[in-house]
Amino acid sequence: MSGGFASGALASLLAARWPRLAIRLGHLGVLVGAIAGGATAIDVLADPSAPALRIELPRLMPLAQLALRVDSLSAFFLLVISLVAAAAAIYGPAYLEAHGAMGRGRAGAHVLALGVFVGSMSLLCCAGDALSFLVLWEAMTLASYALVVSETHRDENVHAGLLYIVMAHIGTALIAFVFVTLAELGNGTDFDVLRTAGHGLPDGVRSGLFFAAFAGFGVKAGVVPLHVWLPHAHPAAPSHVSALMSGVMLKVAVYGMLRFAFDLLAPGGSPLPASWGWTVLALGTLSAVIGVLYALQQHDLKRLLAFHSVENVGIILMGSGLAMLLVHRGDSANRLATLALAAALLHTLNHASFKGLLFLGAGAVVCRTHVRNLEDLGGLARRMPWTSGLFLLGAVAISALPPLNGFVSEWMTFQALLGGGSQVGGGGGLFSVFAASMLALTGGLAAACFVKAFGATFLGRPRSVHAEAAIEVPRSMICGMLGLALACVALGVVPGYAMALLDGPTSSLVGGPGASAVVTARGPLVLSSVGGAGFGAAIFMPAIAILCVALGIAAWIMRAWPRRPARRSAPTWTCGFTPTSRFDYSATAFAKPLRLIFALLYRPRRQVERENPDSPYIIKRMRYHGDVVDLAETAVYHRFQNAITSVAGAIRARSTGRIHGYIGYVLITLLIVLLLFGKA
Amino acid sequence: MEAFEHIAIALAQMILIAACSPLVTGVIQKLKARLQCRSGASVVQPYHDLMKLLRKGTVQSDTASGMFRVLPALVLAATLVAATLVPAVWVPEDRAAAQLPLGDAIVLTGLLALARFLTAIGALDAGGAFGGMGASREMTVGVLVEPVLMLVVFSVALAGGTTDLGRLATHRLAVPSFHAPDLLALLAMLVLLLAETGRIPVDNPDTHLELTMLHEGMLLEHSGPGLACMVLAGHLKQLVMISLVAAIFLPIGLATQLAPYAIALALAAFAAKVLVLSVFLALVESSYAKLRFFRLPQFLGVGFVTGFLALSLRIL
Repeated sequence: MSGGFASGALASLLAARWPRLAIRLGHLGVLVGAIAGGATAIDVLADPSAPALRIELPRLMPLAQLALRVDSLSAFFLLVISLVAAAAAIYGPAYLEAHGAMGRGRAGAHVLALGVFVGSMSLLCCAGDALSFLVLWEAMTLASYALVVSETHRDENVHAGLLYIVMAHIGTALIAFVFVTLAELGNGTDFDVLRTAGHGLPDGVRSGLFFAAFAGFGVKAGVVPLHVWLPHAHPAAPSHVSALMSGVMLKVAVYGMLRFAFDLLAPGGSPLPASWGWTVLALGTLSAVIGVLYALQQHDLKRLLAFHSVENVGIILMGSGLAMLLVHRGDSANRLATLALAAALLHTLNHASFKGLLFLGAGAVVCRTHVRNLEDLGGLARRMPWTSGLFLLGAVAISALPPLNGFVSEWMTFQALLGGGSQVGGGGGLFSVFAASMLALTGGLAAACFVKAFGATFLGRPRSVHAEAAIEVPRSMICGMLGLALACVALGVVPGYAMALLDGPTSSLVGGPGASAVVTARGPLVLSSVGGAGFGAAIFMPAIAILCVALGIAAWIMRAWPRRPARRSAPTWTCGFTPTSRFDYSATAFAKPLRLIFALLYRPRRQVERENPDSPYIIKRMRYHGDVVDLAETAVYHRFQNAITSVAGAIRARSTGRIHGYIGYVLITLLIVLLLFGKA
Repeated sequence: MEAFEHIAIALAQMILIAACSPLVTGVIQKLKARLQCRSGASVVQPYHDLMKLLRKGTVQSDTASGMFRVLPALVLAATLVAATLVPAVWVPEDRAAAQLPLGDAIVLTGLLALARFLTAIGALDAGGAFGGMGASREMTVGVLVEPVLMLVVFSVALAGGTTDLGRLATHRLAVPSFHAPDLLALLAMLVLLLAETGRIPVDNPDTHLELTMLHEGMLLEHSGPGLACMVLAGHLKQLVMISLVAAIFLPIGLATQLAPYAIALALAAFAAKVLVLSVFLALVESSYAKLRFFRLPQFLGVGFVTGFLALSLRIL
């Protein structure tokens, strides 16, 4: 597996003189690596009872033994990564060639970074000790940074990259702190040693370490309010890399959270502290709602998708938080915990497939039009039929509409939250069910957002010359998208077969019989939830899908009955004016009702300039400018930034540049240190 | 075999709902006309309208894409599948047994949301401002309606221990309860019914005036058989919502066996319940004015608060 990535990366270096060859070879390496990774993952997942695959690496460093260890949780995330990486590898070469602007050295560097990025993500999930985890984590961060700033001709990309790398390192520092603390306690860096150390911790320390790790991974996963870097950085990268960052890199952070909560820091066999689950559930709900609300007001197609990643990570965390709450609290609660965790993991896989698909679709639009602003697109459905059809499929899936995969995992999350509500009861139960209704709100907002995004991008008339001239993308790009689209359909129509993959991870984290015994107790075609207090329901997704298709065909036949209708084509009615693209409803206008309804959160800013030189009643020209800023960015981060700037300013004012001044500072510091610590 | 019998009965109920849905619209229109001292059109007028549309040719906007023609069929299909999920007349005694379930309340709302999503996509396809405006407003209403609908469903589901509509109805039949949470949930559901059926004070089904329309605005560019599909889907959605209210709040008279007598009784009970709710819709529509669009959040907020209260009373 790693051989594939490494050889791809190396080949790209050697072939740096021929950019086309470098790109092809590099992506081929990624593809081979992804296939190998996927095969390893399925091999491990197929037999949950087998012991974890363990590979001891040669002792390179005197400090520690490095090891790779593939247990079922690792394997599941490895599978998610491989799925999107394979699609991105098929899609990538044609995208980079069509998008252009790839110089000689550039192409090689780019593909090298891609290989390192995908490779480090895959190996990270298999890391068996703290040191290799941290090294790979850092490699992943740096490689993705390199990819974010790879289009340096844009100023905003450089800014986005800077914000990303600063925030990512704050997160890394927190994770490293947790690892070092555990390693110090257990006197070793191997996960087995850390786990033993973690089991014996006092409760206060355990929770402290968990929250530090949660914050550290939360930065990477884009949990509100730590998400501000994400909507800047993800769109800045080339689209297939955005797909990887949004669809997969966030999941690696989720992997880290699950690994710490259920494995390394868990008090083996006894319930986790209740504060963990409630915090994760509350922040998950907040992320889901805030993420989709901001997504709705974006005009940049890729930024919109990036905000949706915040939303979906929120949904994953809702399931994970509920599982943390219920695990090891009795048999029926444990079944619910299995259901919740299965929902979270399935949503991880689902989100990877539809978000990957949507980012690749957005990439297809960008590479043909070089425009990301929704207001300048339009009319692409007639020009790019494949892309638009596949994008629509992804949009239906992400909006959690049946019969596609987004619906299935949200249904499971609903069931888990409701079951949790009736199991826990009281205020906590009310919160759990309230979270479920917020999940319904999220679904509604996502649907509105994707009607807007799809409508503004693909429907109506083209609103710029770039959109006018667009043509369909090459076949290899369509193939990459098609693969992910098939995954969306399969996971939606026959989700029961995917449950077998979740058996290993759920039974190893939660204990008990595993996902398929809980969710597909009535055969692989029926999903059922029978959880706490006998709460349960069942759905039969294949029948729903078949009925939808069959009745759709029946309705289609009915159209031509009693006689075949005569068809005519005519311009859209625009009250007697000649129709132009300015009659189309713009994306901003589409989102306006919701902007006004949620104005308290958005604090929309608008600026209208009117040019009326002759009379106040005759307006020659109007200029409208409006935007919505991220409240977390302005209310928290800008204040923080201002505080740092003012402290720096104060320091600068004291830095006179004269040597005796500095010697004085050193002496004063020395004196204070001696006074404080010199006694012992 | 029992499982297939179950699915066959669900399909039969779907056909029943589909066949009756234009009639229900006709009855509501007639009631409204009588309340407004007009004689009004015949109650079968919606059938005549549908037949007329089916016989007509289509005019398609030259900006619309290839999917514009397919969308009406898909919208109708999604609404039809939603209709299979409501226990209108018959409900099996114990759905937890080995039978194949079809879907629950969450699937039902999901399918209605799918129909709404596809309708909005179709409205934007032609590229006119009316369609866009209708789509934007309809999706906004959808955003406000869905969490409330879920709150109501959850508050009932927690009492019945399931989100499966059939089992909820049988639970209701076995343990009839009209306590505060049930009544509050019913109140919230009636608010939703007005919004989901596209009636005053939320939407005006009789108008094509751009300032007032929501759902009708989205249908402007459809014509002929395509429009017939969309109109039928509209009728269907209305009856599905009415049957949903009837099934989870007043499941009296539902047949549990396939005896002719029980079925006849259930059909009569269904007709009576639908008539009561139709009178409610006609009364509200004749006695209220349409709300300004930006007043709708407050109106639906009432639904949210009552739904939340119902849930809190249930769980605390």
